[in-house]
Amino acid sequence: MGAEYFNMKFKKVILVLTEDTDQMIITQVVKLCKKFRSKLFVLFVIEVNRASRLARLTHQKTDILDQEIEEGGWKLLYLVEDEAVESDVWTSLHLENGNLMDVLKKYIEAYDINTVLTKRKDETKEIFVSSPVPVIGL
Amino acid sequence: MVLNISEILKPEAIMMEMKAREKLAVIKELVDYMVANKFVKDGKEFVKALCKRENLESTGIGDGIAIPHARTNAVKGLILAFARSPKGVDFSAIDGKPSHLIFLIASPDDKKSEYIVALAKLSRLLRKHNVREQLKRADSPKEILDIIKKNEE
Repeated sequence: MGAEYFNMKFKKVILVLTEDTDQMIITQVVKLCKKFRSKLFVLFVIEVNRASRLARLTHQKTDILDQEIEEGGWKLLYLVEDEAVESDVWTSLHLENGNLMDVLKKYIEAYDINTVLTKRKDETKEIFVSSPVPVIGL
Repeated sequence: MVLNISEILKPEAIMMEMKAREKLAVIKELVDYMVANKFVKDGKEFVKALCKRENLESTGIGDGIAIPHARTNAVKGLILAFARSPKGVDFSAIDGKPSHLIFLIASPDDKKSEYIVALAKLSRLLRKHNVREQLKRADSPKEILDIIKKNEE
């Protein structure tokens, strides 16, 4: 596979963030996007009932957890953006509520995404199985 | 980190009605206002940093909101300004709608954590439909601050 193939596959990529996405992954993704001059879409999805499920486990209030999850999501999005701007990488940040796979499919279709990037873990397993475009595990 | 938007936003950094109608002119008008109120060290450098970010991505986040932002040593500390545009400004928002509520955030290079937290808190606050509507209707800087304070509690 030549450079042209990779340029095409990385033209528009979407990074699906999870709550534990770390700085190393962010740096890796930004480097990759700089190399291929990709447009980087960044998505954080707050799964339906995420806060109430966590509340049952941690005995914390649902509304406080809701607030923490959303704020945590925005922080991750802006961390990616901050690093991307330093590297002159185009970014577009998105935070949505819903089912991860449904939201992701909507974005892939709406923005003509070529490749999905995400952390390899249980909660992202479905992406690897059901994504209509190639997925790279980080 | 305890950081409240209502504490960062000062009454003198609120413009109830801005004149400019075009994105770059809006940014310049806001920066001039911040320079006049001594929040900014170097207005030219600040505009440059904001424009760099605008060229890489749209800070028009949809629902009539734009949050131009930058990390630059052209500002003295973490600053936030707010302006309203009754007619709306084209910030190339994701939903294609004009922006009526414009929040400008900036911090020096060494205040990255506060800057990210402020952006996150503001973005969360502005996702609330009722907050956006109240901000559009408010009559004074004090009312703007009261709305923010009440809704971030």
